[in-house]
Amino acid sequence: MRTLCTLIIKNLSRNRVRTTLTALAVIVFTMVYTVVGSTTSLVNRLVSSTSSNTRLVVVNRWITPSELPSRYIDQVTRVRNVQDWTIWHYYFGFLDESKRSDRFGLGIATRIDNLQAMHPGLEELDPASLQAIKHDKIGALVGLHMMDAMKWKVGQRFTLFSATHPGKDLEFHIVGVVPAGKWGSNFFFREDYFQQGTGDDETVNVIWLRVGNEETGRQIAATVEQMFANSREEVKVETEAASAARIAGKTESILAIVNMVVLVLLIDMLVVISNSISISTRERRTEMAVLKVLGFSPNFIIVMVVSEALIVGTLSGGLGAALAFGLSALNEADQLPYTIAFLRMFPVPVSFVPRGMFLGALAAFMGSIIPAWTARGIKVTEVFSDIA
Amino acid sequence: MAANSTLLHLIDVHKHYTRGSETVRVIRGVDFQVSEGEFVGLIGPSGSGKSTLLNLIAGLDRPTKGQLFLDGVDIAKLSEAEVSQWRVHHVGFIFQFYHLIPVLSAYENVELPLLQFGLSARRRRRQVLTALKLVGLNHRLSHRPGQMSGGEQQRVGIARALVTDPSIIVADEPTGDLDGHTSEEILDLLDLLQNRLEKTIILVTHDPRAASRAARLIRLEDGRLVAGDESTIGAAFPGWQGTLT
Ligand SMILES: Nc1ncnc2c1ncn2[C@@H]1O[C@H](COP(=O)(O)OP(=O)(O)OP(=O)(O)O)[C@@H](O)[C@H]1O
Ligand SMILES: [Mg+2]
Repeated sequence: MRTLCTLIIKNLSRNRVRTTLTALAVIVFTMVYTVVGSTTSLVNRLVSSTSSNTRLVVVNRWITPSELPSRYIDQVTRVRNVQDWTIWHYYFGFLDESKRSDRFGLGIATRIDNLQAMHPGLEELDPASLQAIKHDKIGALVGLHMMDAMKWKVGQRFTLFSATHPGKDLEFHIVGVVPAGKWGSNFFFREDYFQQGTGDDETVNVIWLRVGNEETGRQIAATVEQMFANSREEVKVETEAASAARIAGKTESILAIVNMVVLVLLIDMLVVISNSISISTRERRTEMAVLKVLGFSPNFIIVMVVSEALIVGTLSGGLGAALAFGLSALNEADQLPYTIAFLRMFPVPVSFVPRGMFLGALAAFMGSIIPAWTARGIKVTEVFSDIA
Repeated sequence: MAANSTLLHLIDVHKHYTRGSETVRVIRGVDFQVSEGEFVGLIGPSGSGKSTLLNLIAGLDRPTKGQLFLDGVDIAKLSEAEVSQWRVHHVGFIFQFYHLIPVLSAYENVELPLLQFGLSARRRRRQVLTALKLVGLNHRLSHRPGQMSGGEQQRVGIARALVTDPSIIVADEPTGDLDGHTSEEILDLLDLLQNRLEKTIILVTHDPRAASRAARLIRLEDGRLVAGDESTIGAAFPGWQGTLT
């Protein structure tokens, strides 16, 4: 067995340039695939998770970003079967006086008493920081990415130069850090501070409702939409999942193009592998004939050729996905010279590494089976009569 | 020297190739026998069908017609897979261009045919080392073909043919690519296989010097054995005897 493995491995090192180029093609493909695939998978996860199917988002039907009269809050949250609710006030602007575009931050003013319950993804928030913000009116819970980008420390103060509320720049006191993930690029603060600071008690941007199950969710959505039908300020109510799906749907045509690119890349990768394997088997016709003379079966030739391809495909597929994962992880941890916003929205899960290996292996198998089959059929006597 | 029992028996063997619509009759009715332990030279002009006949004997190809008994088995009747299995156990093949696997060491090249035998690693190692020692290459175990001379490569080729302990060794112009001195060394080795190990050897050659090692010569011309038993080197290569010494 050892000699057979040696044979396969040494065959790969015969033409290092070719093996390397083949591997590179697979690596690049799986990297692209992994990044693209993780966006689709994130959207899918959001759409299918129960927490996002039992949370309703109430927004203005016609205005983006949404804005609703504050009096709606009372009416909407009193609807039967609403279990819990919160509101969002958007407050964003520049994080320091430089007003550089990469120092733009989004603050969300909301209820603190049920912050975690209404924001899945905040489970790992430090309880001490929650306590702190309850006792500190100007307290802010700042996302990890924002902290890193601004090199802020807990306990420090900062002023946001507001773009949404010109002239109403508020000062905040950082009392805790929001973990990386869904909320890692925002900061949360108290809605009472927002109202006091901006003087805005007329409007609210978003109302969130929590319901028992999807069915009551649908009923409530219908009721609420009905309530404000034909009024000046109509609302749209949908589950978070539906909202995610709609946003994803908007980008569907883009995703379709991306998928096309992925498909083309996949075909490219197959052609590259298949071509490289074909060339290398053609070069080794005589050797394969010799193996046959030495009594190796035609099936052994297939196994040999396919294994060579599988080794390259699996390793470089895994490597490509691992590189994408590493890049995404570094990006997440702010270890890169430039942060990649896209990757931050759609971080690559580690589960994509085995997936990349599988994909590489699959492509290798499909790309090598035909050359292997051809090599299997090599006729010993023809090979030797060419030479002699 | 030659034992009495017949090892190889060809009865009216034909081989035709079809090229498009044309049929090429390469072997046209060959009959002969080879006894166990014999050293037979197969000679004849280029294109007369020597390699084709050798391939038939080694089971690399099937006769179009006729019977071909080796060790009592009609190999013309076996399936391709059976022939392939049978060949590992019964035939050792030596090539003109050695045909070693370039990425494997001398040791690994010799080990290759043994891998299908299901032997223990120790047993295999012993057999490989014995074969390499016999051809005088036990100091070159880890050399690759590219790092060895033609003569050395051919020795590895012989060790590879020998390592499975086959009943017959066939060699197609094994000295065709070697200089005079090295050829003699290789031929000495074949002699040794025949004398000491009592191997049956069929040697295809153009080279009178190689042919002179055979105890019996079979001459092919145009796919047929030439009438009469041309068993002497003098008859096969007129004028050769004068330059022999
Ligand atoms: N696979 C094949 N298909 C068609 N024709 C073949 C094939 N193999 C051999 N031949 C033909 O058969 C004839 C004999 O070939 P073969 O190789 O047996 O000759 P040879 O005696 O070994 O010649 P040389 O001394 O040059 O090696 C040649 O004319 C050759 O073209
Ligand atoms: Mg020939």
